[in-house]
Amino acid sequence: MNKKITIFLALAIVSAGAPARSQDQSKVELKLQLPKPMFIGTPKNIRTPNLEVVTGKARGPFYVPAGTKLVSLKKPVTASDMAPVIGETSFVTDGEKSGEDGYFVEFGPGKQWVQIDLKESYALQAILIWHYHSQARVYRDIVVQVSEDRDFVGGVTPIYNNDHDNTSGLGIGRDKEYIETNEGRLIDPKGIKARYVRLTSGGNTSNDMNHYVEVEVYGIPVK
Amino acid sequence: MKKATFRGLFLVVLAGALVFRTAGLGLRPMHHDEANQAVKFGALLEKGEYRYDKDDHHGPSLYYLTLPLVKAAGRHTLASLDETVLRLVPALFGAATLLIFLLFLKSAGAGAVLASGIFLAVSPAAVYYCRFYIQETILVFFIAAFLASVWRYVLNPSWGWAAAAGLCAGMMYATKETSVIAFGAVAGGLVFTLMSGRKGGEARGEHGRFRAWHLLLALGAALTVAVLLFSSFFSHPKGVLDSILAFRNYIARGSEAGWHNYPWYHYLGLLAFSRFGASAPWWSEAVILFLALIGGLAAFRRGRLDKPEPSFPRFVLFYAVFSTVAYSLLPYKTPWNLLPFHLGLILLAGIGTDRILGTLRPNAFRAAALTVIAAGVIHLGVQAYRANFKDFADPRNPYVYAQTSMDFMKLVKRVDDLAAVHPAHKEMLIEVVAGPYETWPLPWYLRSYASVGYWQDAERAGTPSAAAVVISSMDQEEKLQPRLGQGFHSEYYGLRPEVVLALHVRNDLWERYMTEKAGK
Repeated sequence: MNKKITIFLALAIVSAGAPARSQDQSKVELKLQLPKPMFIGTPKNIRTPNLEVVTGKARGPFYVPAGTKLVSLKKPVTASDMAPVIGETSFVTDGEKSGEDGYFVEFGPGKQWVQIDLKESYALQAILIWHYHSQARVYRDIVVQVSEDRDFVGGVTPIYNNDHDNTSGLGIGRDKEYIETNEGRLIDPKGIKARYVRLTSGGNTSNDMNHYVEVEVYGIPVK
Repeated sequence: MKKATFRGLFLVVLAGALVFRTAGLGLRPMHHDEANQAVKFGALLEKGEYRYDKDDHHGPSLYYLTLPLVKAAGRHTLASLDETVLRLVPALFGAATLLIFLLFLKSAGAGAVLASGIFLAVSPAAVYYCRFYIQETILVFFIAAFLASVWRYVLNPSWGWAAAAGLCAGMMYATKETSVIAFGAVAGGLVFTLMSGRKGGEARGEHGRFRAWHLLLALGAALTVAVLLFSSFFSHPKGVLDSILAFRNYIARGSEAGWHNYPWYHYLGLLAFSRFGASAPWWSEAVILFLALIGGLAAFRRGRLDKPEPSFPRFVLFYAVFSTVAYSLLPYKTPWNLLPFHLGLILLAGIGTDRILGTLRPNAFRAAALTVIAAGVIHLGVQAYRANFKDFADPRNPYVYAQTSMDFMKLVKRVDDLAAVHPAHKEMLIEVVAGPYETWPLPWYLRSYASVGYWQDAERAGTPSAAAVVISSMDQEEKLQPRLGQGFHSEYYGLRPEVVLALHVRNDLWERYMTEKAGK
């Protein structure tokens, strides 16, 4: 019985398909006319810093537990390259957030990281990052990890990752890329306890270099 | 200088100029303007179609001069072209300008011609824009040829030089509208040179006489060339009239306030000294400016070294001064526009070098001067190398102007990689939603894709959810995002400094791409 049904269905499909095939032969490909690009002259040349926010609205208030304070100011910074191309690693936590030349540290092309030693463990409440905000650009493969281990071998917790294709090899990230503005990028560590904060990036949309104007870490001392 | 020595040295300089201009032509991403020209040329190549556009793109010579080279290279479609084959056209014309300098041998002498050739070969500005698929280098070639033909005619009036001058004038006009500045500067230079000539006019011909029909012949040659090219070889006669009407647009653009307006000293400042940022390297062609000044002063000094035609330096000086002033006074300035007067400065610098080395005594002083000039030439060469092979897209390079950033090439690669895993490959639907200033050079880089649509407004775009890939400018994001919903994965790429493009990849394609990538 089942065999008969199978044969019947097969015949039905074949007979239904036959006129479709003959109809296909009478058809020609529909050539879609998509709009063409408009020719236009030389675009604007931009070489000067511009603090204009390209997208997004002003960030709303961010609430933290009472007693939260800035715990990264003037704290020691190490990096994957301790001889930056421009500036010094200490710029990352020196409290200066200006977008002008002289306030940022530049590391070489490709994957680079900086690491802040908070000197003791804190319940982290907020991390604010300014890579370079005098120009609209997007930094790639940003991964923020925290740990109690200085070498980030064990007990590493990623709290932000927008490396969506795992270029850095630190895992596929689901966070969004964003355009740098003078507001910085606010990350919520959700109170995780850690002494070390490591920030990784892999170049940006203007060049392959990595920059930091400032990183601020807010937390509450762990009792 | 012995003839054999000159020939040997000149060949070395010519070879150097060729190498600088033709090596690594594919390195720099296509500039917005180059991509416009390339896609326009594609229509001529594929369909034999060219229509002069009085609003943009300048004259037709670039396209028609590209055609034989591209066909000789066996390319017959836009998709088969690449940056190298297109940029080879201005690069070869740039190097050939050195050959035109040989026509000045009789008037300037071997030393001045050789020195001018060296400066042209290694000038960072000259080399950088020779590697651009735009009209400027071709215009400079024909200006040099026009200067030479006019001067040779003045020395020896003949129908041959008159016809040559006419042909060059026609090609100048068919290359760029700003050729009128060069016409004015050459005419002014000639009048002032004849007026300033001593002994009742040194520059007058020795072997012939000016005849009215020579002038008519020159005009006829110029008109023939211009009409042929602007009318697309008589298939579009309106192009001839449009080439005249275009001046209304270009005069308005040149004098109105706009993005490209800069103060009068902008070009000279750029050539003299440029540095962008405390940590950036500095750039300068001051050695050419200084030697041009010496050449200009020498033009009015007579002595035993006024060889063999004393009026020639004055002719070059007047041309250089008039063209520099005209280009500087025009508020509209893009850096490649400095090339026509830069040519005059380079010729003057050659004359200045020849005068310094010819006048200085004792020999120790001359050797010292030669050492300093040689150091200047090496410095120019180092800058030309840096500008063209290292910092070719770096905004801190003063010759870089609204240049497509290297990051954009990552977007192109990403689209190519996505197409490789898409079932339809290069027939996958791509939607570009961006204004025209944010669109180019995408049409060039997407030239081999069969289904690409361009919209300027997200609300008028096709159904984004049907597209495999949507590329948009940031100003369209707000309107585009609701239409994309959660079905796309987004990433960002730099088009130019301050200009970011978003690449939205349909989720199923992204997952397929990541799976393929993980499997490799």
